[in-house]
Amino acid sequence: MKRSTPYPMLVALVICATPLLISAAKVGQAAPDFTATASNGKTFRLNDYRGKYVVLEWHNNGCPYVGKHYKSGNMQRLQKEWTGRGVVWFTIISSAPGKQGYVTASEENQYLAKMQAAPTAALLDPTGEIGHLYDAKTSPQMVVINLEGTVIYDGAIDDKPTTDLSDVAGATNYVTLALEQAMAGKQVETPATRPYGCSVKYSGSTH
Amino acid sequence: MRGCESSRRFSAALGFLVAQLLCAAGVRASGSPIPHGTLELVAENRWVTPGHGFSLGLHFQLERGWHIYWVNPGDSGEPPRVAWQLPPGLSPGAIKWPTPRRLGTSSIVDFGYEDTVTLIVPVHAETSLAAQPLAHIGAEIKVLVCREICIPGKTQLSLTLPIKSQLPAPDVRTRELFAAARKDLPRPAPQNWKFSVDDAKDSFVLAANVGPQITRAIFFPLAEAQIDNSAPQILQPQPSGFRLTLRKSDRLLKPIERLKGVLVLTADRAYVIDVPLSRASAARNGHGTGIHPAQSLEEESQR
Repeated sequence: MKRSTPYPMLVALVICATPLLISAAKVGQAAPDFTATASNGKTFRLNDYRGKYVVLEWHNNGCPYVGKHYKSGNMQRLQKEWTGRGVVWFTIISSAPGKQGYVTASEENQYLAKMQAAPTAALLDPTGEIGHLYDAKTSPQMVVINLEGTVIYDGAIDDKPTTDLSDVAGATNYVTLALEQAMAGKQVETPATRPYGCSVKYSGSTH
Repeated sequence: MRGCESSRRFSAALGFLVAQLLCAAGVRASGSPIPHGTLELVAENRWVTPGHGFSLGLHFQLERGWHIYWVNPGDSGEPPRVAWQLPPGLSPGAIKWPTPRRLGTSSIVDFGYEDTVTLIVPVHAETSLAAQPLAHIGAEIKVLVCREICIPGKTQLSLTLPIKSQLPAPDVRTRELFAAARKDLPRPAPQNWKFSVDDAKDSFVLAANVGPQITRAIFFPLAEAQIDNSAPQILQPQPSGFRLTLRKSDRLLKPIERLKGVLVLTADRAYVIDVPLSRASAARNGHGTGIHPAQSLEEESQR
């Protein structure tokens, strides 16, 4: 190390600053852009959907909390209803290869067909890059992005953090609330909650 | 049971029956199966005495590497839930949650228990109970058991205790189990300890004046989405205590009024703390409550 140069100091500064530059998505702030390949082989870029509401749904087909919303048909119903109203719905799979929920493109296509799921696309994120960009903790964690590309909701799908199918019916769905309130020109009353569910199975996860 | 292989079917059936009877006569039942473990409902006393409260215990034994959750499960998971079926005159109190552990990796941190844990539930017994000879206690437990993956379990437990007018007497079979469970409960922080919490933009700074210098402290928040569970908690030892910097959760959108939780210090001594935000912080931020938690926090630690 050469003492005379200011570089080590600069390098240290850059290293310290890096986590801030790539800080995760936060309610009220711009949704971080990403590009991903979907199970249907197409490429999707978030910023191409400015002017539309976008829902991000973190998915893991082996997680019992996700199972609650798919076995009950709740997730598919939400996907159909909102994509029918012009919302872009991305199901995102951030499980690393070898971890629960990891799927190949064809496995995911089979799952979508079998479950009659209807997202705009299922995005494959085996490196966990998008997951980390949004600091996704659980499946099913949900994010809602408004027309201007701002995160207006981040958290749980509803207010019943259980695996019981019977809890779907009486639950308050935070995604529905956020979309309805935003579309009516209102402030989203509950913009953040604890996103319940299974931990996202990133590479290196142990629980 | 190699010798039994040649036996006739009749004697095999008889043997099975005898084995079952022997099991039933055992000192303590081995517990009901839950995913990757067992769960047993135990009583601290030999009988219920009307007018005298007593404790029940939910004793979890988990296979190596599997865990269940604290009342605030952290970033993922769910605490066990109990639906009691009790005779009129008995009413359950809130679960006493033992001090949890941090579980997880760098980006996702949960709070829970591995190996074995006993959740103590105090039960109030009214004097009107006296009219009945037996108390049939039932409990339906829903529990999420996780290692790399999570498996929800549900089990129905029951226990029958005599109702007697005699003073309560501890059950020797469960004495050690309850003693160990009580040792794992966080205690109220001593009266002469002084705490303060400052709101420092992205963090809360918990300052403690407890006498000696403290070199190890971990805080477990009772409320969800107050602090960033996976962020390192930065400890600065002070001559008579410590300062602990807790990064705020990104999901905390409104100021909080109090920081409640369990503080674990050197030698695993754990204390319940409930500290109002310092007035300077409160004035800076105005008053408000935390964000809507995704679930209720009624069953918090007893203090």
